[in-house]
Amino acid sequence: MISQNVTHRPVRTFVTMIAVALEVTLVIIVIGVTSALLMDSAKRTEGVGADIMVQPPSASVFLGFTGAPMPVAIGTKLQQLQYVQAVAPVLTQLNSVNSLEMVWGIDPASFRAVSGGFVYYSGRALQNADDILVDDVYARAHKARVGEMLHVLGHDFHIAGVVEHGKGARLFVLLSTLQQMSGATDKATVFFVKCDRSDHTLAAMDKVNQLLPNYTVRPMKDYIQMFTASNVPGLAALRTVMIAIAVSIGFLVIFLSMYTTVNERTREIGVLKSLGASKLYVARIILSETALLCVGGFVVGIGLSFLVRVLIRLLFPSLPQALITLEWCVYACLIAVAGGLLGALYPTWMASRKDPVEALAYE
Amino acid sequence: MAKRCRGLRLELILKTENLWKIYGSGKMEVPALQGVNVEVAPGEFVSIMGPSGCGKSTLLHVIGGLAKASRGRVLLDGNDLATMNDAERTSLRRHKVGFVFQKFNLLPTLDARHNITLAQHIHGNGYDPHRFELVTNLLGLGARLNHRPSELSGGEQQRVALARAIISEPKIVLADEPTGNLDTKSSDAVLSLLRHLNRELGQTIVMITHNPEAATYGNRVLHMRDGMVVDSVVH
Repeated sequence: MISQNVTHRPVRTFVTMIAVALEVTLVIIVIGVTSALLMDSAKRTEGVGADIMVQPPSASVFLGFTGAPMPVAIGTKLQQLQYVQAVAPVLTQLNSVNSLEMVWGIDPASFRAVSGGFVYYSGRALQNADDILVDDVYARAHKARVGEMLHVLGHDFHIAGVVEHGKGARLFVLLSTLQQMSGATDKATVFFVKCDRSDHTLAAMDKVNQLLPNYTVRPMKDYIQMFTASNVPGLAALRTVMIAIAVSIGFLVIFLSMYTTVNERTREIGVLKSLGASKLYVARIILSETALLCVGGFVVGIGLSFLVRVLIRLLFPSLPQALITLEWCVYACLIAVAGGLLGALYPTWMASRKDPVEALAYE
Repeated sequence: MAKRCRGLRLELILKTENLWKIYGSGKMEVPALQGVNVEVAPGEFVSIMGPSGCGKSTLLHVIGGLAKASRGRVLLDGNDLATMNDAERTSLRRHKVGFVFQKFNLLPTLDARHNITLAQHIHGNGYDPHRFELVTNLLGLGARLNHRPSELSGGEQQRVALARAIISEPKIVLADEPTGNLDTKSSDAVLSLLRHLNRELGQTIVMITHNPEAATYGNRVLHMRDGMVVDSVVH
């Protein structure tokens, strides 16, 4: 009976399921894209190859949220510490021209000492003040080639090389250039520290803490775990808002669908009651139909999410692939079913309380 | 509660005592039933006749537990409906009453088979294949079970509705103008089936009808006017 009722109005069923599918897709894609962005950023920073990251006191784990308050000279002191093999100062700047990207100002020699150096797909290392390196992901997404000009941070740079992605940012310029452009002469945002042996990391951190009390000193092996939505100001709120919007869509569509269903089937409800169907029996029918619509919408939504993921990759190649996890698929299902059942509550209550005599007389 | 019927002393299946049903309140009060007293013995086939608006359907709704009486008592198989709440009356309908309506009231999304078994499902005993076969054979529905109501004639739809009403072996079948939407041939067929159910299976039936000829299928005819039973004729 439940399935027959659902298929009786195919257009309404289709539209309702699509609405639930959009709800599910919105949840999965919002979470998937933000998680992927966080993870991509974390992996690239981790990919620098340092063992320790030194930042100013109370600095955010996200480099883009920190200015450039540390003198580069600190790097020289860090370099002299026991267990420290190399130190690379990095100045970060957020570029919002054409696209939102982090630009890292690096000292090629020290950055190479810490990271092992770039793998060049084409071109050469940074040499001149207006040189810029782009990684292969950025180059592919923006069709950038060596020798071309690139307008970044309000300045025209010359693309000196295309490097393999995975070492911090997607765009690199000389540290001195970025310091000059941002008015942060001799300043750095972060120091990446390479230890002589990775098992000396904790000992090296102790030394850094003694040298720079109150500074933020983090081991890179724990870095990815710190990249959570709750650590990004506003991201958790953004996710909550997006999920709330998604739930509202499902709630309203299910409400409207079941409300019209109940009104349309008033006489049938009267018949069921004349046969002795209890309020619970009637409510169970409406809620079962709702659950079926939600589960159907969820299945379509999962398929739609994978489709949207492919579309995002095609339209925005520089974005990392959205992470679609089983955990969030389950959450999306629960959110869809819960939102749907919530939307069906009033129509269900209305159906279960219908007077059988009035319902039987309904035309 | 006892009654002498056809020479046998039987417990009554249905009895109403000074039954009133008033719609509205104050100056807007409309009395649909005004002190109705009816007695029905098990195995009886009672027809109720009367002009439109005389309270026939209201009486059927009240004795079937679909509506609550304003005053008076309804005793159905020993249960006093006046003292029952909505859930208890629903349970009573489920187990003791079978309804047949003028407009058939089959569920359009279900085929004939599932319209009939729906009553068993609601009854809670589940599908009983022996009872199902007995009833559908009796009503000549064997070949039409996989058809939806829209694919059935009026007479066939009413036979399905009749099957649905008796599939769970109710104590009483309440039929509200069961031939009101049927042509003469289909009407005769449905009335003959009702009489057959009554005579062969001993099914108690209370039927409302406008049609004097249809009323003669019952072994007793009650005449109603202005919310009151004014006459009773035994055939």
